[in-house]
Amino acid sequence: MQLFKKLLNPLISCAPVLIGFILWETFAASTSTNFPPPSLWLASILKLNKNHQFYSALLETLWTFGIGLFIASFLGFVIGLLIGTSHTFKIWIAYVLEFFRCLPPPVIIPIAVLILGYSPTMKITVIVIASIWPILLNVVSAINQLGNGLFEMGKTLHLNRVDILRKLLIPAILPGFLIGISVAAPLAVIITLLIEMLTAMPGLGGLMIAGQRNFNASQVFGILIVVGIVGLAVNQLSLFLEKILLAYKPPKTQR
Amino acid sequence: MKQFFSYKNLAGIGGILIFILLWESTIRLGSYDFEFIVSPSQIAAAWLPMLLTANFWNELTHTLTAALIGWLLAAICGIILGISMGLSSRLRQCLMASFELLRPLPGVAFAPVGLILFGFSLKMELLVIFFPTLWPIVGNTLSGIDQQSNRLHELVKIYHIPPLQAAFSIYGPAAAASILVGLRISASLAVIMAVIAEMIGNPEGLGYAIIREQQGLHPAEMFAYIITLGVIGILVNQLLIQLAKWLMPGQFLRTTS
Repeated sequence: MQLFKKLLNPLISCAPVLIGFILWETFAASTSTNFPPPSLWLASILKLNKNHQFYSALLETLWTFGIGLFIASFLGFVIGLLIGTSHTFKIWIAYVLEFFRCLPPPVIIPIAVLILGYSPTMKITVIVIASIWPILLNVVSAINQLGNGLFEMGKTLHLNRVDILRKLLIPAILPGFLIGISVAAPLAVIITLLIEMLTAMPGLGGLMIAGQRNFNASQVFGILIVVGIVGLAVNQLSLFLEKILLAYKPPKTQR
Repeated sequence: MKQFFSYKNLAGIGGILIFILLWESTIRLGSYDFEFIVSPSQIAAAWLPMLLTANFWNELTHTLTAALIGWLLAAICGIILGISMGLSSRLRQCLMASFELLRPLPGVAFAPVGLILFGFSLKMELLVIFFPTLWPIVGNTLSGIDQQSNRLHELVKIYHIPPLQAAFSIYGPAAAASILVGLRISASLAVIMAVIAEMIGNPEGLGYAIIREQQGLHPAEMFAYIITLGVIGILVNQLLIQLAKWLMPGQFLRTTS
């Protein structure tokens, strides 16, 4: 009985999605141009895989996303640290930062296309510029929320600057930094797909837009599911990262 | 961070001026040939005549209207969904996993789907706006209901308040502060998604205008549109913050900090 319940619960909680799929599969005509049944989605993905298009596109998208997010995290952390620790600089740069934060991230793509052309460098640059703001701003606000007590303790213990950075500052702002990454990661996925769609460069976004232009609805729906799985994996990964890195229980921030 | 964004931050305005001056002088001095980066003065020269054309205002209205309609639809569905999921544990059990499965799906992936289903139309744009803006509203409404104390549930039971009335007049208002946070997050998202939808699909509005100027190699006009969008982003954000402050004084700040 216990085992039965354990198996039943996830089944019930996934029920709306499952029932939706089953209904779609049974009621959609296999010739439908707009709503092809899910079995055809799988078939079109397998067909793409046979042409060695699917796998390389998936790798291309994941690779660009990963590199872009990594560079954005690194730069966001370093620049955030520099801005956060200098009070004067922060005041001077506040409005400029606010403007860039409020600017919708996709508008960077046309600028980058004009300057860098259709290249992998352009893709990564756009991802970095678009996804750096949540990371940077979260690091800055995490530093702002630290009390003076932390630094006074460092002074009392005669720690030098490197030790203050390594032992006090970085552990204290790590939670904010990770929140920034978890906000930036979905954004980076969106931007990666958007660039591929706009420029029809290789990748999952490119495959989707190609499917749409050839009126191949089953390919579009198939890639949509793959993209959903990628999104879910990114989400789970950032939760996992948070769990591991914050295992040391960071100090409570005070105002 | 808040005190740095006050209206009295003159240094912040100075920062903007320095940024513009640096930009202008790098282009003017011309040590490196930036073929497609134009100076702020050229952008201003392209922007001011643009403000007088009806076309510009039509594009602006189109983007804002699409974002507003999509956002309102998402708000209505999201709040209803969030409150009912918050109040019925059975419903939550049924929907939670689907919610977690669908939430991380990148909204931009709906653009080709929308194009196939609706063609180049406002409906396609609304689909792209609606889907991603729904989740922050549902999530925040749900957590707003969860944070209510047991007293509220007891009160509903003691007075025998019917479920529908309880949802609208007790739980809804109690979760309002949290719902407002969700609405604010998704409002800025709605503008972003409208621009994305216009860039890929629906050939109208500011998003399309940016792509059009880029492909026509008019960098000054392109930058003018981009700066317009930045200003809109700031205005939308400020408007919602002020609105939330006005609607629930005190409460709003507590839930966001």
